[in-house]
Amino acid sequence: MKFHWFAEATYPELPATYPQRHPSAGVDVPASLVDSQRAGEMYRMFIRLMQQADRLGWDGLAVNEHHQTTFAMTPSPNLLAASLASSTENAALLVIGNSLALYNPPLRVAEEMAYLDCLSGGRLIAGFVFGTPMDTAFAYGVPPSELRERFHEARELITRAWTEPEPFSFNGRYNQLRYVNVLPRPVQARPPIWVPGTGSVETWDLVLDEDYCYGYLSFFGLANARPIVRGFWDRVEQRGLEPNPNRMAFTQLVCVADTDAEAERLYGDAVRYFFTRQRAPLHFANPPGYTSRASQREVLERAKGVSTEDRLRATRGELSFWEYDELGFIVAGTPERVRQRLRELAVELRVGQLITCMHMGDLAEDVAAMNNELFGTGVAPYLRDLWASYDDPWTPPASRQQVAAAAPRVPAHSVHAHSTAIPSPLGGDT
Amino acid sequence: MTTLEIPHVGRFDVQVWESGSGEPLLYLHGYERHPGGAGFLRRLAEDRRVLAPEQPGYGRSTGVESFTDVLDVALFYRELVESWGVDGIDVVGHSLGGMFAAELAVVAPHLVRKLVLVNAFGLWLEEQPAPDPFGAADEVKAAKWHGEAPKSEPTNFEPDPDDPHAAILFAAQNLGSATKFMWPIADRGLRRRLPLIDAPTLVVHGTSDGLLPLAYAEEFVRLIPDARLAPIERAGHYPMVEREDEFVTAVTDFLKG
Repeated sequence: MKFHWFAEATYPELPATYPQRHPSAGVDVPASLVDSQRAGEMYRMFIRLMQQADRLGWDGLAVNEHHQTTFAMTPSPNLLAASLASSTENAALLVIGNSLALYNPPLRVAEEMAYLDCLSGGRLIAGFVFGTPMDTAFAYGVPPSELRERFHEARELITRAWTEPEPFSFNGRYNQLRYVNVLPRPVQARPPIWVPGTGSVETWDLVLDEDYCYGYLSFFGLANARPIVRGFWDRVEQRGLEPNPNRMAFTQLVCVADTDAEAERLYGDAVRYFFTRQRAPLHFANPPGYTSRASQREVLERAKGVSTEDRLRATRGELSFWEYDELGFIVAGTPERVRQRLRELAVELRVGQLITCMHMGDLAEDVAAMNNELFGTGVAPYLRDLWASYDDPWTPPASRQQVAAAAPRVPAHSVHAHSTAIPSPLGGDT
Repeated sequence: MTTLEIPHVGRFDVQVWESGSGEPLLYLHGYERHPGGAGFLRRLAEDRRVLAPEQPGYGRSTGVESFTDVLDVALFYRELVESWGVDGIDVVGHSLGGMFAAELAVVAPHLVRKLVLVNAFGLWLEEQPAPDPFGAADEVKAAKWHGEAPKSEPTNFEPDPDDPHAAILFAAQNLGSATKFMWPIADRGLRRRLPLIDAPTLVVHGTSDGLLPLAYAEEFVRLIPDARLAPIERAGHYPMVEREDEFVTAVTDFLKG
């Protein structure tokens, strides 16, 4: 199994009254809440943490795009990835992703991603995302009814711009270009492409048609993901394709500490901060036309892995630390407990690409660095063997080889046995 | 169901509500939905032939994906009217349908006899920014009506006992189609074309419309060469519902005059 380091760049000093006073974490957040110097410090912290993750053997460093929000203050993931491309050695740069419909013309994406692939020596994973409703329809004013069509037109243009040997003309509905000739081209002729989705059959068919990696990027854990991920693998089977776990990525918040009690003490406030500062009112979260009628029906009719009530309790901060853990919204505790929980999750969901959220909310840098250290040395090495027999064309060859050579291994004296029982929270303290 | 094949544009299957006989009148519904056989439409149909198509992308009418921009919509309605074999038609357009009616009057001056715009979208006034018609549901509902919102708004929606989600999907699909022309701002350049309208025009406006202040109606009157304003007091975005008598009188007097 592969691990990709990730964190939402959540602004850390929002007032305690924030969730009550501001119903939305995006679109119309008062700008006065954000101190620009503090934002700069935060960016420098994330760069340091990702450089550490690279040294500790993460397979990828994930960066994402959101606009006009304090929950994830990364309007251009390509800028963050550029900082990492020149200051890390081995890990893939998982840009997940660029909201293609927002770039006009989307050649900007083709160029910047090619630049990143060149600068990093072929370590880019290209994520193509629709973008959230708040990013696309609100912050960037794209009519929701045009978003998918703009995305697909951009996707075609970018892919052709990377791969066609000669300049070509492009006469689309939203983009007209007489001479398309991106320079430089990526080191990898066509970098691996990942597309995240929320469970629509249309997106499953897209990734399977095009051989993209599918990401189900939720912060609501195993139980929530179960019906959607099952649907995806059923679709893979229906279409007679190999159920290669590496074609699926999944996000999980992870909180590792020396003891379970220590985990609660160190991460409890930050986890609550994270979940209580991502709310969006319905009209921002679900504008008309953003979801196709077919997908909307699926969402309405699909069994819920996690009740709406539990989600609401999570975002209102009404869950205890171990309730967050029990529901799978976080995986917390000692390295032994975390690796067993993650193995269980990865096996059940058939996930080959685990996007580990190692920093959340307003977590202090030293705690996040400890989280990295404990995970990189005490968790990841024990799980790398999972799915080792499957090919992985969805990560760059350069990062695969370099990480395999450099990543920490299971210590030779360690007994390589996996008990089937998962230690209960707090069970390992005495 | 009417099927239209427009060369180089696309294929459209369109629901048309039709009633009455006599002089033809094209009614283009607003951004939320087709009103079905609402009282005001039946009354207009008492002495004329009313044809009220459901906009492609709404309800059961298909083909919205073939529209590149609002010009395609105008060409579509031109084809639709011509398919009825009439050589001229009065046009009443409400809300988003007002934007389409005005565009139709621009591209088909030979077809459009008289034009009525009712609380029409299509303009933007920098000094009086109109609120978001896709905003929070309770805010939009409060903005639309002068008085209390009616228990049920006129609609052509037919509940399906086998589909508990039908109403949600119907509303989302309709509004989703509206975003093509109204998101993020309901201005697709109509200001530049309004001076080309030949048809005598009545600009009807429910003066308490919280979605479109009266200044928007006044701007239509200012830009269309032969236009006058018919304000309807104590009515919001749906004057034909809140003040049905006044609305029907204003429209029929203008069309007969």
